[in-house]
Amino acid sequence: MIRKLCLTMLFALLLGLLAGLAVAQDSVSITVRCKASPPEEDWRCNNFAEVEAEVEADLGIDIDLNLIQDNAGWGDYKNEFVLASEAGEAPDIILSGHEDIGAWAPAGFIIPLDDVIPMHSEFDDIVPSLWDSHGYAGQIWGIPQDAEARPIFYSKLLLRDLGWSEDDIESLPERVAAGEWTFADMLATAEAAIDEGVIDAGNGWWHRPSNGPDFLYYYFGHGGEVLDMEGNLVVDSDALVATYELLGGAVASGVMRSDIIGVDWNEVWHPTVAQADTVLFAAGGTWNWPNWAINYVADKGGDEFLFENIGLTLIPAMATGNAITLTHPLTYMISSGSENPDVALALIAAITTPEHNNKHAIDSFHLGILNAQLESEAYANNRLLSSAHYMLDHTTALPNHPGWNAWSNAYFLGIQAVETGEADAAGAADIAIAQMQNELGDGIMVR
Amino acid sequence: MSEPVAKPKSSAALVQSRRNALRSYLGAYGFMAPAGVLVIIFFLIPVAIVLYLSVTNLASSNFTSDLAKMEFIGLKNYQTLLNDQFARKIFFNTIFYVLVTLSLFNVSLALIVSLLTTHIDRSAGFVFRALWILPRITSPVVYILIWKRMMAEAPFGILNQFNEFLGQPTYNYVATNPWVFVVVVNGFIGVSFGMIIFTSAIESIPKDLLNASLVDGSSRMQRIRYVILPLIRWPLLFVVTYQTLSLLTSFVEIQLLTDGGPGLYRTEVWSLTAYHRALSNYFGNAQWGYGSAFAVLLVMIGVVLAVIYMRVFRFDELVAEPRVEAL
Repeated sequence: MIRKLCLTMLFALLLGLLAGLAVAQDSVSITVRCKASPPEEDWRCNNFAEVEAEVEADLGIDIDLNLIQDNAGWGDYKNEFVLASEAGEAPDIILSGHEDIGAWAPAGFIIPLDDVIPMHSEFDDIVPSLWDSHGYAGQIWGIPQDAEARPIFYSKLLLRDLGWSEDDIESLPERVAAGEWTFADMLATAEAAIDEGVIDAGNGWWHRPSNGPDFLYYYFGHGGEVLDMEGNLVVDSDALVATYELLGGAVASGVMRSDIIGVDWNEVWHPTVAQADTVLFAAGGTWNWPNWAINYVADKGGDEFLFENIGLTLIPAMATGNAITLTHPLTYMISSGSENPDVALALIAAITTPEHNNKHAIDSFHLGILNAQLESEAYANNRLLSSAHYMLDHTTALPNHPGWNAWSNAYFLGIQAVETGEADAAGAADIAIAQMQNELGDGIMVR
Repeated sequence: MSEPVAKPKSSAALVQSRRNALRSYLGAYGFMAPAGVLVIIFFLIPVAIVLYLSVTNLASSNFTSDLAKMEFIGLKNYQTLLNDQFARKIFFNTIFYVLVTLSLFNVSLALIVSLLTTHIDRSAGFVFRALWILPRITSPVVYILIWKRMMAEAPFGILNQFNEFLGQPTYNYVATNPWVFVVVVNGFIGVSFGMIIFTSAIESIPKDLLNASLVDGSSRMQRIRYVILPLIRWPLLFVVTYQTLSLLTSFVEIQLLTDGGPGLYRTEVWSLTAYHRALSNYFGNAQWGYGSAFAVLLVMIGVVLAVIYMRVFRFDELVAEPRVEAL
């Protein structure tokens, strides 16, 4: 009797184990790493939790989803992924700048997606121009997460003090987009504001205080190119000199302060620009807006205060005659170490919908990535997004190339040289070109 | 009369003597082994790896931890480094930073604080020394944040708020005088190390020597000059050596305060460049191989300086057997 009972129990135990194994085989672990500034960019990661059950039901599996959101500096964030990839501990999905494709694709840390993208109809609706910045060596390596514009923010408050009418102020974005109001006009307006005592010298125009993508649009605005038709790095010396003349000239004329590079982002730059009473023109990014509304002018009315006192426009036309901006899409990439890339892609596809992307776009003021978002009520009714979406028609992007960091660091050296007065425009261009040639060797062509 | 002939050692005595010598050697090396293993694991092996990395083109775009898979490029990184138009500037920045911080703060101010706090009431001296240790025990990020808040431009900085309150002009202190703040910020941290060493050395001077000098009619200054300073010579030389090497490799506070700027590498030091190249880049694709070349040169400079210090300051005398024992 006891023997029978033991055998029955053993059998039941074996059955239980087998059942457990069967369930375990259907459970897959997916880790997602997102760089996001809380709270306005939380949806970059949190959207995955929203669709987890839906994807589980579709695929008939149990997903053990692990979301890791942090707001580390870009350099540390990217290095962590490189080291984790080599250690075999990379997340399944990494969110980073599209330019990382240029380094991570040749290193084999991420996988190409050309063959699997057609399997998910959600990706069909992505704004076509965004795919351009996701290519490397003829293949697509990431799915756009968001888009943005890097506009000039102008202080309506100070323009009113300068005597501008409401019509002049409200029509400025249109005039800029049409190429009627140029960068030279912007500088002249800033000089006039200083001359008339509306603002202090140095506060006519602020660009970002550290290296970053924005600086490239000044070079593009003067007809410069970073890649030739074959995808090789190039530098156009005339465009480079003209860019440095523009930046150095702004400092020399007192429109921009010579120590703008090095100003602390959070201690000085954001709190000053957000108040709208000190700086006339500031080159920033659309995502700055919710940051200002939440962290710097909440006590004055947040969004309402900003709408009342700050406007945004494309970067006014420079030598090319066309107003521009620059989009730096963040990108979901799938790690080559992922054991379940199909599940990872299914999760990305599930959040690539107007419903989910709108949450991120609205909360963080990043532009939509899907055509359908433009038609969605939530997006179209959003005053901020609807006022900026047209900028995607004028956008440019960084190149995806392993040598981009050397190129951009050398370019930034020239900017530092000319703005601090350590070199004139031609000298700054010589510094930048010499640095590029020293570090890139045959990998850079000077035109 | 014949010379006395030394009695030859028996073979057993010879063996015993050799055994004793061997035991003595083994004992000495045995005691040094734990430290030796640590030096090998945490210094020699990393230096060898960094040396190897410096002759490869390792970057994020071809990153691997397999040494055999790294692409050997010979001395190309060193050639690039020597051709870098700012390498000379960064090198002299480093020399300037080390010399000024060391001489003004890590040694001089540390000595002054030690002398002052050992010549006042003992508990008051302890309180002052504890205050001077605060910069050392505060997290670098918090410490630099405090400095930034104090020195920020108007209307944000505390000092500038005082200036405005008093009707004085305001300044962008750090941007205008970056070296002053780089040296002061690091110097305040560096003072504590020398202060502790010097204070303990001064406290350990036999009181009868100090009292004797007073009985002989010396003033306090004379007692410092002719009694205390000669007696703390070795701690002084040790602090100079140790802090030189420490400053050569320190960069965290500079990175947090100025990140090597403003302008063209105005406050960039060698170790910060190695970090920027190998480990931190806004646009990714860090240059591990090239950054390692910077690090290798720093190690070489450190080793050369250490040897020079040991020779010039005659450290062998410091560790030599006391003469009274040798008599």
